[in-house]
Amino acid sequence: MNRRLGGGRSPQVRDVTVDGDGVRARARREVILDLHVDGRRVWSFWLHRDGTPVPGARGLRLVEWPKTLRGFLDGTARMSVHVHDGSGPPLFEDDVPLGSGEGPIEIATPDGRPITLDRSLRRVVAFEAKSAAEVEPLMHAIGEVLGILAEAGVHAFLAYGTLLGAVRNGALIGHDADADLGYVSDHDHPVDVARESFRLQRALTDRGHTVTRYSTAAFKVEVAESDGTVRGLDVFGGFMREGLLHLMGEIIEPFRREWVLPLGEATLEGHRFPVPADTDRFLTITYGPSWRVPDPAFHFTTPRSTHRRFNGWFRGIRVGRALWDRRYASRPGPAEKPTGLARFVARREAGPAEVVDLGCGTGGDALFFARRGVPTVGLDLVPKGYATAREVAEREGLPVRFLELNLVSLRSTLATAALLAAEPRPRVLLARHLVDALGTPGRHELYRLARLLLADGGTLYLEFLARDASGRYGRKHKVRPRRPALVARELEASGATIVAQRVLTRRRPSRPGAGRTRICRMVVRWES
Amino acid sequence: MGKLKDVAGSVRRRAGDAASADLRRRVAELEEEMQEARALNVRVAELTDLVTELLVPLAQRDEEKLQALLARYHEGV
Repeated sequence: MNRRLGGGRSPQVRDVTVDGDGVRARARREVILDLHVDGRRVWSFWLHRDGTPVPGARGLRLVEWPKTLRGFLDGTARMSVHVHDGSGPPLFEDDVPLGSGEGPIEIATPDGRPITLDRSLRRVVAFEAKSAAEVEPLMHAIGEVLGILAEAGVHAFLAYGTLLGAVRNGALIGHDADADLGYVSDHDHPVDVARESFRLQRALTDRGHTVTRYSTAAFKVEVAESDGTVRGLDVFGGFMREGLLHLMGEIIEPFRREWVLPLGEATLEGHRFPVPADTDRFLTITYGPSWRVPDPAFHFTTPRSTHRRFNGWFRGIRVGRALWDRRYASRPGPAEKPTGLARFVARREAGPAEVVDLGCGTGGDALFFARRGVPTVGLDLVPKGYATAREVAEREGLPVRFLELNLVSLRSTLATAALLAAEPRPRVLLARHLVDALGTPGRHELYRLARLLLADGGTLYLEFLARDASGRYGRKHKVRPRRPALVARELEASGATIVAQRVLTRRRPSRPGAGRTRICRMVVRWES
Repeated sequence: MGKLKDVAGSVRRRAGDAASADLRRRVAELEEEMQEARALNVRVAELTDLVTELLVPLAQRDEEKLQALLARYHEGV
């Protein structure tokens, strides 16, 4: 957290070049560099921390293009490299052809909004690309969320980058892309802090906000801006315990409650918002004593014990979320054809009372059953996955509903079970590529949910990767092979009976001599 | 005599290496167990939340109210 550059003069940077590999430069002292494309800052990095020595060229370092930029780098653009916040001429400036070199390089969203990389190298539409009017909905949302939290008894304040921007310039930090709030709970036990955070989430969803959780003590409120950008307003829970301020995201430091409360006020983009009583002390434990010096490539260096505590107390309910969020970010449409498992089930089950597709993904199989007139439920971790299928179902008037299900959250699993099981009926459950996508805790929740949903009879059909000859199948479907014997053992331990099991061999080996990829299909029942 | 000293030194070093390897293993185990114990907080918080939000309406046996509450709870997870 305190890793900072020494103050004083700008360090000397020499031999700066930009090519297909990335940026090369020499500097004796650590330096933050900005890469501009067509005059716009796109990426900032630390030369020593992020670069690797170039063999045979003493002192020269190469900072490779981040993966998140590479996809854009085909064409030609005016590129320049600058010392961050330095006022001198660029260290490098030229037209750089990359890839085919043809056409311009445009680092932007499909609808033309400029992309920059944040400090975690994620693609974001940063605030610097926004006018004051465009960030107004976010300011409005901050005010509204603060109000709802206050009604629920929690006095939140601007935190992290948002606090830094407000205190330093009265404005959002240009390279930031989300806004942060924090609060210090009256509770001091992790369980009570989590329960309070659940309550706050309900208060927000009751008022129509979309909320996704990072942990049992922190969540994100989604805010739509005037141009359609969806921005995260992060709410980090905190508490005092044995003289230490614990604040999610990721601080455990000696602190006094009176340095937070009663809250003060600061201006952000022309609005007055609450801030901790002592912003200097607060920003010092957040960004170190040199918090006044801007650094867009700043990385938190958190003590291991802080991570371990927060991970143990509050985390583990979001496993796999980032992967599936990315996978479904573009809201892919449902597959036209049903999967082999869906066809298999349709042949075996004559007129089921209800089909539940666990981990329905883009919802193709759920639509398939619904179109046959079967009441159907599609459940998945990421609503964006089934968003298009839901629209299709509404258009066609199909008997299907889609619900969010997080199999690593007990609240989600049990509430989903209760919601569906309120209507007693035998069910047919499908779980295709779920046991091979989930870790052990998720699999156990899956079996628990299946047992609850089959309380009035019915069958679970499982399909998973049993052997991945070349690794290609697993990469494509984001799954890892599971031994059928292990899955069978786990199921039996949960009280299930394996009625039938078959290992299907894919027709062709993925490459000569690689052996064949195998898929396991299981038919499972629980005695009611 | 010198040779004997060498052997004694080597035995001592090996014993020391084994002891420190054993300690490292035990610390790793302890850390893992510590995290297992901490993870109970997530479990207890989730269960307590479910019970406090749903138990009383369940006992009141108001079907309609309970369904609405379940839907709201699911929405707010």
